[in-house]
Amino acid sequence: MAVEYKYMSNIRIIKGAFDSQLELEHAAVVAGFPSPADDYRHDTLDFNRDYIRHPEASFYGDVEGDSMKDAGILDGDRVIIDRAIEPHDGSIVVAYWNGEFTMKYLDLTHKGDGYIELRPANKDYPVFKIEEGCHFEVWGVVVHLIRTFEKV
Amino acid sequence: MYGIIDCDNCYVSCERVFRPDLEGKPVVVLSNNDGCVVARSNEAKQLGIKAGTPYFQLGKMFPDAKIAVFSSNYELYGELTGRIVSIIKEEAPAYFRYSIDECFVYFNDVEDIDLKAWGEGLHGKIRRWVGMPVSIGIAPNKTLAKVASHFAKKYPGYNHCCVIDSEEKRVKALKLYPVEDVWGIGRRYAARLSSCGIRTAYDFSALHGDFIRSTFGNVVIYRTWAELNGEDCIPNEEYARKKSICTSRSFNGMVSDMDTLSTHVANYASRCAEKLRAQGSVASVVGVFVNTNPFREDLEQYWNFAEERLLTPSSSTVTIVKAAKSALGRIFRKGYQYKKAGVVVMGITPGNHVQQDMFGDAPMRYEKLKSIDKVMDRMNRMYGTETLVLGAQQYAGKDCYGKAEVFADAMRHDFRSPNPTTRWCDVLKLK
Repeated sequence: MAVEYKYMSNIRIIKGAFDSQLELEHAAVVAGFPSPADDYRHDTLDFNRDYIRHPEASFYGDVEGDSMKDAGILDGDRVIIDRAIEPHDGSIVVAYWNGEFTMKYLDLTHKGDGYIELRPANKDYPVFKIEEGCHFEVWGVVVHLIRTFEKV
Repeated sequence: MYGIIDCDNCYVSCERVFRPDLEGKPVVVLSNNDGCVVARSNEAKQLGIKAGTPYFQLGKMFPDAKIAVFSSNYELYGELTGRIVSIIKEEAPAYFRYSIDECFVYFNDVEDIDLKAWGEGLHGKIRRWVGMPVSIGIAPNKTLAKVASHFAKKYPGYNHCCVIDSEEKRVKALKLYPVEDVWGIGRRYAARLSSCGIRTAYDFSALHGDFIRSTFGNVVIYRTWAELNGEDCIPNEEYARKKSICTSRSFNGMVSDMDTLSTHVANYASRCAEKLRAQGSVASVVGVFVNTNPFREDLEQYWNFAEERLLTPSSSTVTIVKAAKSALGRIFRKGYQYKKAGVVVMGITPGNHVQQDMFGDAPMRYEKLKSIDKVMDRMNRMYGTETLVLGAQQYAGKDCYGKAEVFADAMRHDFRSPNPTTRWCDVLKLK
């Protein structure tokens, strides 16, 4: 941010392109004691701000079935997918495979042997083996899970 | 230096984000009401499918080809391209979106920036984050940037970003560029130029300025000629006019207060809404730009652009003015002398005659409508968008929430994709 200062007697004028609004609360003329709460003030927690770190890269998905139940992800859960995150071995990823989106563990153990695996967290489901040279792309990485217990 | 970021086959690329299996296959997107082809993937272009081909003829013309067909889904396109613009905004000092799939950026000072690396990085980020390919052209002005983006799109060797930053590169590029493809030339002039033996952009740029002036007597052509020769003289909104509706004015004198500026912008927005209604269309994105006087080098300079996406494409004055004011609020900075402002509406699609009638009325009824709008807005804020719509906008169909279908839905769209980014019921289904 380019900020320029200009002085007019005692008043300092700050110019620049500010992305957000200036917080004027603290810029007020000081008269009397400052509020003791000033030192402790903090913005309200905000899920959008703190959990969706890359809004432009974030997508949502609803879980169908119990192929990831041992990972604690159940049918009907909603997940937040972040495409800005680099997948690594053990990431829970979303991939388009066999004509549908699937969510599985990414297993890179055998990358050196020429294949990678998408592993379910449920022994009743098959492991997908993806050979090198197959057109395959991790679509996104699952970063959060939302489960609703009470309809509000 | 200017950069232009252009989404490759925008609508097709949007559809492919959620259908990665269609990568490398022929895909077309149809116009409203599934009339004709409006967007084609490269593979569809290679098959020989022309823009404007009526849908019902596709099967007869290409009986053996497997072509993926989509109805247009502007809700999806607006959302995804909005993400791209928002990434561009983070990465560039100043930007100006002038159509649904094209956006300029402007660098005041490029000494410390490796523009080629910047462009490749931006492409990579957009590709990874949003899942869409873009082409980036960078040059000393917008006309040359557009030429550069063409090379970035056409030749994979450029890695999605082409920079024209030397005389040698300028000449080389223009010699390969047909004159009729240059912005602002058009077929009519191209035919005339061709009869004088002028075929490439380079031939044209090498003509004498006086010759251009006397032959065409047209300031647009002259400025295009000057830009091809490296000058920077065509204002942003000139480009916007092609693919969007733009209303802008330079002020008589300069304006520094928000109230006056806001009133100007409201008027431009209202004019855009009128123009939309006059041609029977609706827009899905409302953009606002402001700038100071670039000729007053003694004053501090500022230019900026912001936009609002409309949940339901609209031509309503109330809606468009409100969106424009809200966008202006985000870019207005105190302490500058503004010389010009404008409103651009884009993502334009044919509207519906019912709504046109509803709004095409005398000024007296306008006030009445405004109060209706207010009540509606309050209700819709409390109970969700489109809880209450004007009677004329109501349709019998229900959407996935069991609500009445909204305006944008009331068209024929047999092959429309879901809206995973704007409707909870359409988010990805993960097996």
